[in-house]
Amino acid sequence: MLEADGIGKDYRVDGAVNTAIDSLTFQVAEGELVCIVGPSGCGKTTLLRICAGLLAPTRGVAKVDGREVDGPPADTAVVFQEYGRSLFPWMRVGANVDLPLRRLGLTRAERRERVAEALGLVDLAGRERAWPWQLSGGMQQRVAIARAVAYRPRLLLMDEPFAAVDAQTRAELEDLIRDLWHRLGVTVVFITHDIDESVYLGQRVLVLSSSPTRMQAEIHIGLGEDRDQLATRSSPEFAKLRGAVWKEIQAAKKGGGE
Amino acid sequence: MNLLRRALALTALPAILLGAWWIASDGSTSFYFPPLREILAEFGETWTADRWAADVLPSVARLGAGYGASCLLGVGLGLLIGRTTWLMHLAEPVLEFARAVPPPVLVPVIMLFAGIGDTMKTAVIVSGCVWPILLNTIAGVRSADAVQLDTAAAFGLGRTRTLVSVVVPAASPRIVTGMRQALAVGVILMVISEMFAAQSGLGFAIVQFQRSYAIPAMWSGILLLGCLGVALAALFTLFDRAVLHWYHRMRERSA
Repeated sequence: MLEADGIGKDYRVDGAVNTAIDSLTFQVAEGELVCIVGPSGCGKTTLLRICAGLLAPTRGVAKVDGREVDGPPADTAVVFQEYGRSLFPWMRVGANVDLPLRRLGLTRAERRERVAEALGLVDLAGRERAWPWQLSGGMQQRVAIARAVAYRPRLLLMDEPFAAVDAQTRAELEDLIRDLWHRLGVTVVFITHDIDESVYLGQRVLVLSSSPTRMQAEIHIGLGEDRDQLATRSSPEFAKLRGAVWKEIQAAKKGGGE
Repeated sequence: MNLLRRALALTALPAILLGAWWIASDGSTSFYFPPLREILAEFGETWTADRWAADVLPSVARLGAGYGASCLLGVGLGLLIGRTTWLMHLAEPVLEFARAVPPPVLVPVIMLFAGIGDTMKTAVIVSGCVWPILLNTIAGVRSADAVQLDTAAAFGLGRTRTLVSVVVPAASPRIVTGMRQALAVGVILMVISEMFAAQSGLGFAIVQFQRSYAIPAMWSGILLLGCLGVALAALFTLFDRAVLHWYHRMRERSA
């Protein structure tokens, strides 16, 4: 579904070349839920922007469905960290969710149905007429998720979507993502700096090194399909996996990407 | 009660100032500063239906034409320049210069090629009004949020839909600010353009009264001009509330 083949990104700062991402190669299979973690400043967001077709890599290629990404790929939706800035404050909630659908050639009734359904899935049924800035942070991020869901993407890219919400809301939203992923069969790539979150959500966790970024480790999360905020997080397997990811990140920081 | 208090707050100071003017000027024997009583009496006699048709309406029509053209030109060019980086770098110094030139000095120049008719007067208004709208539109487009633009791009919205649904609304608070500044400039230029080689208009009428020593009538014209300004500002506030109601309500909440 998603392939990164030797992706690298350099930035030019005052004439000097600064390598943000050295080389990253990985695959995400159709229907998988993969989390990407790494120390801060390791270029996670840069990687996501390259996969989303918002940024061109300096080296290598990203492929979605076997096709090289040279602009935002079809059937791909992105949820950004800054919900307050990715929702449009001049549109009501319904119009925000509806906007990406308007180029898909659907009838008005089909669009309205999709908007209502997506808002229902994120527990915001009937809130079409509300304004985004009337909602709490967690609710705003759910609107952004509903917008992605209504688009019916096959690939959902999420860039630290819960970094700016409080802990309880965050737990609810994590369960929401697991639930939507199960129900919709969408491929999810979830970027986070939170080790616990990556283990709780993912089937697989990719650990990145610090900049210039390479793949540090790949850890399979054998926690089973049904996860529970309390039982899963207090299980010995969870602690073991969490420790494994933590160790890799420490190693990544020390190694400095060497 | 609340409405009453607001109405009171709005009218209190003008009422006090008018009252002070009335009392201070009541015994005036000065030829140039007649009593307000006389000016107001003259007002009713001077601004008859005929005069409205002959002077006020042509003025307002020129202002409307010049201001409307400025809005279209300023917003249109502003969107184009703001969205095209190389064009913006190219245009920036020129725009700063053009904006620094006081528009009234262009009146004689514009008269050379646009003559002395309505075209000249409209052109003068445009020459001053277009800058605040253009510069504010460019600034508004440039300040559009990167995450909002990324969102539009990620969903493949395309140039036109991104412009209409994201860029223009994002820039709209700045555009409206520019339009408000331009309205004030427009009223000034309307009057000034009519003081040069005109046969009608408010500015023309005021100069005529002054030249024929009809001083109370001249003052009444100035009063009318002030009232026109207030009425236009009130209309603009209605427009602002309608277009930017989301913006004002959002700011009320975060305040």
